[in-house]
Amino acid sequence: MKIISQVSIFIYGILLLPIMLTGCGEKQNNPLSKSRPPRHVEKKSLQPKQEVDPKPIIVTANTRKTYQWYCAQCHGIEGKGDGINAKFLTVPPRNHTKAMYLETRTNKQLFEAIKFGGLYVGRAPCMPAWGNTISEKTIYQLVLYIRELCQCEAL
Amino acid sequence: MKNILFLLISLFSLLSPLLSNASLIEEKKCSACHRLSKIEVSKIGPDLFYAGNKFQSTWLLQYLQKPLTIRKAGTSSNPDFLKGEFENSHPVLSKKDAIQITQELMTMILSEMPDETINLKVLSKGQIAKTKYEFERTFSCISCHQSLNLAGKPRGGISGPSLIDAGNRLQASWVAQWLKNPKMFSEKNRMPIYKMNDETRLRFTQFIMALKKENLR
Repeated sequence: MKIISQVSIFIYGILLLPIMLTGCGEKQNNPLSKSRPPRHVEKKSLQPKQEVDPKPIIVTANTRKTYQWYCAQCHGIEGKGDGINAKFLTVPPRNHTKAMYLETRTNKQLFEAIKFGGLYVGRAPCMPAWGNTISEKTIYQLVLYIRELCQCEAL
Repeated sequence: MKNILFLLISLFSLLSPLLSNASLIEEKKCSACHRLSKIEVSKIGPDLFYAGNKFQSTWLLQYLQKPLTIRKAGTSSNPDFLKGEFENSHPVLSKKDAIQITQELMTMILSEMPDETINLKVLSKGQIAKTKYEFERTFSCISCHQSLNLAGKPRGGISGPSLIDAGNRLQASWVAQWLKNPKMFSEKNRMPIYKMNDETRLRFTQFIMALKKENLR
């Protein structure tokens, strides 16, 4: 009986050993790291900070595909307003490469024109509402793509 | 040797009636250009697996003998769709073949499709005017679909199928269902999804079904 209990204590000991070791290891690291001095201390520069470039507009490949699938029917493959429906419309589709007009529109206005249609933003009724078809996230991406096509921002 | 030959001839004579009853749709290889089931990948011709829900048999019979261009840019799967380049090269069938294929197509239906158009009343002049306004301005259908203007002349974009003769080509129940849930028929198409209320949707259905080539002037 004694032998059995001694053997079982020995087995428990072996099983618990790695758990105890790893547990300790994690705990030991923290006080050490706190007590260590930082290896690299940033020196305060007297020079004026360099201006950071604005974040580049990232238009995903899926957004470009969405534009080709839905928008290019009227706005054209390159966004020049010359899609296959263009010559049959009462009001020509917007040329997305022309900055002169698109600079006068905010991103919100472009977003709403796509989501709710042309009439909603006081423009031509030829532009349908895509809000039930294209997600808001993708519509916002389409706005960014239009900005890329016109190489312009809202004034 | 003679016995084997005799056996082959008798087998052929037994099987020939069965072969003559084989589907003409298969024989004509319609599936090369048309989807005959929803699980197939997109093809260059319109889907046919719900042809019996969508088309009117009289129109199909005429079309198969004298194909017309309904989509000037082809279907969305046409690689030159966005260039508007499409040549309708649908084969012309004999009257006999056209009758058989029409019969076969009319059996291709989606059994789960409801018919909401049985008791619809004819639209009043006021309702027609209202729907025409919505067709052109509220829902912008005119941008992609040709229809008839007040002078009876074709008007509208070409990326969607022409609706000039929709009243002779389509079934009302299919139009109503397409406007409600196009994904039931096609996962991928270029038409916006409209969440019309039932009254508007059924009014639109009637408006579209009233568009017929007889009204061209």
